[in-house]
Amino acid sequence: MMDFSLSHEQQEQVEKARLFTKEWIAPKAVEYDRTGEFPLDICREAFKQGLMNPHVPAEYGGTPHTVLDHCLVLEELATGCSGIATAIDANGLSQYPVILAGTDDQKRRFLAPMTETLKFSAYAVTEPEAGSDVSRVKTTATRVGNDYALNGIKWWITNGSVADWYFVLARADEKPTAFIVPADTPGIIRGPKEINLGQHASNTVRVTFEDVKVSEKNRLGEEGDGFQIAMKTFDHTRPGVASGANGIAKAALNIALSYAKRRRTFDKKLISNQGISFKLAEMMTRLDAARYLTYKAAWMFDRGEDNAREAAEAKWFAADVAMQSAIECAQVLGGYGFTSEMPAEKLIRDAKIYQIYEGATEIQKMIIVGKLMRIKEVH
Amino acid sequence: MIGDVRTLVRKVAERFKGRFYGRTFRCPVCHLELAMVDADGNRLMVCPLCGVVLDVEEIYGHAVPVVLEVELFRPQPKMRLHPLATHAPIGLYPFAVLGVGLLLAASVLAPVVPALAPLLARAPVVATATLVMLVLSVGLSSLTLASGLWDWNRRYRRRPYWQIRLKIAFSVLFLVLGGTAIALHASGAVFSASTGLVDLASPLAVVLAVAELAVLALGMVVIATLGHVGGTLVFGR
Repeated sequence: MMDFSLSHEQQEQVEKARLFTKEWIAPKAVEYDRTGEFPLDICREAFKQGLMNPHVPAEYGGTPHTVLDHCLVLEELATGCSGIATAIDANGLSQYPVILAGTDDQKRRFLAPMTETLKFSAYAVTEPEAGSDVSRVKTTATRVGNDYALNGIKWWITNGSVADWYFVLARADEKPTAFIVPADTPGIIRGPKEINLGQHASNTVRVTFEDVKVSEKNRLGEEGDGFQIAMKTFDHTRPGVASGANGIAKAALNIALSYAKRRRTFDKKLISNQGISFKLAEMMTRLDAARYLTYKAAWMFDRGEDNAREAAEAKWFAADVAMQSAIECAQVLGGYGFTSEMPAEKLIRDAKIYQIYEGATEIQKMIIVGKLMRIKEVH
Repeated sequence: MIGDVRTLVRKVAERFKGRFYGRTFRCPVCHLELAMVDADGNRLMVCPLCGVVLDVEEIYGHAVPVVLEVELFRPQPKMRLHPLATHAPIGLYPFAVLGVGLLLAASVLAPVVPALAPLLARAPVVATATLVMLVLSVGLSSLTLASGLWDWNRRYRRRPYWQIRLKIAFSVLFLVLGGTAIALHASGAVFSASTGLVDLASPLAVVLAVAELAVLALGMVVIATLGHVGGTLVFGR
């Protein structure tokens, strides 16, 4: 039996996130977009309301949500501002490798404190010459007694300058190996905030590691497990990224719809023109399709099934829908869609990154084809 | 350093604005910041600067204004008394504050820097000039308030704009603060009529001098805010 309705608890979570978005995120979205400051006050409130760190297991102080629940919440947050939503949610990307491969001691030391006070963590994998091709990372982890010395540069690290610890992928004896590195370790240099096209509220920086000593106790799994851990994380997080894109598509649709219902042209409402109304119909349909892909990928993960293909499908499709919807929203708004005083141009700038981060659209398609190559026929 | 001060001022101003105006948005035509609460029951409002009629709706917390109409032929003030009357108090007031500051500094330095003695002979003149500037500034600001109310009535048709409400409230506050400063200064209890300086031996005189300076500083913030808000109503962002 299939059931597309939300449970009472899920409905409550959505309502709570929607209220938070309306009261805290959307009213400050433009300000943070213009100043590029990190939205610490909003994160503080999100932490207080239990909207942060939804992945941390209960035995480490968390109130864990299913991935599907998390997607529903994240879609609402991103409707207000996907940059602020990213700042709130980016902890998950670095927490999940610890949940996946961490020892009890590592979880107690790094996950539990994040449920007690507002703390941030960052996923430090990308390097200047290794983006989509993660296996090219050059950061080295050299054995020094029982410790490792990390040397290398990590780039475009979300929450990089506010993080209390980093998940780092480095090469130990040429084998990709994962580490948890406290941010106050000597030798870590945080670069300035990158001036990106969109998501200005999200903190993206370069992090340099110069002879950073990391204890063996902070290694995740064995030497050589790093690539698997880093990649497996995405099965969990990609539905969330797709939800963020869905949030943008939803905001774009709502803004375009509201505008088209009120603006008058040629002595009638804008929405009465077929050229405009069809755009809205297409936006709605694409959003629904993106949501169903997203929810299915999340639901499969929650059931413990392999969702790598579905997560890639959702991430790719939702990102394209977000981009397309933002552009159509600007088109419906006409000249006003092109001004910085209306929300459409920000949606366009913010949407673009969804086609790039956590695996570019082309990488998602490679994953899908990779899965197809392993099956005889599609049922 | 200057950047830090600017950031601080911006944060204080944003917090003040948030508390005073509530939820705001920018007019998509002239970029003037407008308060959502100024829209009428039908969500309509007329931009005080460019005159477009806006239908503003909040969608998921985003303010989405739609331009429905443009209000042409807005009544223009014949004498432009308000802008003229505005600049006299704004121009005079800082010099009055400077005069009080100089007199206070001279009062403190006089006993320790004997070389200032020839200059101190001029202190009563500075004290009187300061009082004259204060009286002119505060006196003319009542004309500014009256002409502003007239303009609001005619040009803005008494529409409830938060900028104008803020200006009225601050104008009254400025009159109260200015009147207090004039009373303190003219009473002779702060600056002696004979020397033009504060008698540091008298605790009451010192307290009143500090009070006068504080009142004048607050007045400076008020008049600067008035000028800034008034300027945005004329020139936009």
